[in-house]
Amino acid sequence: MNENKRQRAGIVGIPPLSVMELLASPEYEVFDLDEPQGKTSIETASPFLPKVYCGILRTVVANSLKIKPDIIYIDTGSGKCDCAVHTATVLEDILPNTRIVRTRNHDATDFGIPLCRTKMNLMGKMAAITASVQIPFPYEDIMECTPTAGFWGVPPRDFSLLKLFPDTTHIYGWARCMENKTPDNLDLEMHFNPHVPTVFFAQSFCAKTALARHLASKHPYGLYLDCDVTAGNSVKAKIQAFLELSGM
Amino acid sequence: MLLADFGTSYCKLQDTESSELPRLIATNTIDRKSMQVDIATGHNGKRYAAQYVNELTALARGGLQLIGKKAFTLLDCGSRDIKYVTYDDGKIKDMGWNAECGASMGFTIELLEKYYGLDFSAMAVPDSSFSITCGVLGMSHIFDAVVNGESEAEAVAKFVKGIALNAYDFAKRPETIYLSGGLCDNLLFVGSFPCPIISLGRFVLLEGLKTTLTQP
Repeated sequence: MNENKRQRAGIVGIPPLSVMELLASPEYEVFDLDEPQGKTSIETASPFLPKVYCGILRTVVANSLKIKPDIIYIDTGSGKCDCAVHTATVLEDILPNTRIVRTRNHDATDFGIPLCRTKMNLMGKMAAITASVQIPFPYEDIMECTPTAGFWGVPPRDFSLLKLFPDTTHIYGWARCMENKTPDNLDLEMHFNPHVPTVFFAQSFCAKTALARHLASKHPYGLYLDCDVTAGNSVKAKIQAFLELSGM
Repeated sequence: MLLADFGTSYCKLQDTESSELPRLIATNTIDRKSMQVDIATGHNGKRYAAQYVNELTALARGGLQLIGKKAFTLLDCGSRDIKYVTYDDGKIKDMGWNAECGASMGFTIELLEKYYGLDFSAMAVPDSSFSITCGVLGMSHIFDAVVNGESEAEAVAKFVKGIALNAYDFAKRPETIYLSGGLCDNLLFVGSFPCPIISLGRFVLLEGLKTTLTQP
């Protein structure tokens, strides 16, 4: 336990609502370990995970080594991925003073997806969705906009690639499941809008690359895109050209 | 107005107020301090121009202008990277740009021709190929084949065919490929594709830049 008596709790993926309600108590300081936490080098994870591995889970390990939470809730069910199952094992070994709690989130109550469909810059919108994981309360009503583009996928390791999208981009895929608090809802994850040009994104080396590529091939105006730790020039140029040539 | 496509190995320049054909100059001969153009593309282009056009955008616009069809796949094989655009019913359908694990293909092919003293224009397309995902990693196949008794020319030809097949896969195996870039002049490479190839030459991106002049 730390000096301030608040327990430092890390979350990986989306633990069940019952866990998030517990962590909403002032006794906990919560860290979303999927997201970069300050200036932590992802290379600190390299002794423990292969370099050719999901950038999000490498970030989880790097964050965990730096923060050393008292407890980590890591979702290892179908709402996250097999890589998280193995990462939980690694964390257990390298952080003997941290309690690792594996969860399987089968929550099926729809909280709604107002952020996914509202007009807002996409970086801000995605940040609000990832932040919403820690808020176990119903959302406020937000005005919906007509979509002109789509972003399907998970919150990327590098949010800078989201800067290139118009504010009227709707979010689909697992990020939509995040906001809805139903991370293993595959039907919701697979939904896309065939009427707007859509970028189907997955982290490199993630199993979701298969789904992203498959759905992009079914979409009339879909672009499959994968990206590892940081978005390089070719990744950004692909997005920019795709949107530009689609009339954005 | 001076337009330029600043590639890794060669720079392509065109003065729109001149009737002369575009100029091709080696990138390493450019005077970095004095070079300035009006509109540029290519991965070195941002530093030399006030207006920069994304390479994929320039490629797509150039293809639309030169090909004149509503459905096509245009593949650009450069020194450093490969990229493609696919149009269907006049709309962008798909695109890709591989500057990482598919990189250095054109560069490696040129390097091998010089290193082994080969003449690609006089070499036959081999029946088989190496399974290659990138120019750099594919090199080991050549060394292994030579050690196992194949001639250097045979091994390099299989390498070149492997690169062509990899580019074909990357472009999602279209029925016909419109080809752009310096490798259009490489008959061994062009002949190694398993589909018809229509070569458009090195100046497709410049053509795309020209259309920028008429964009709103």
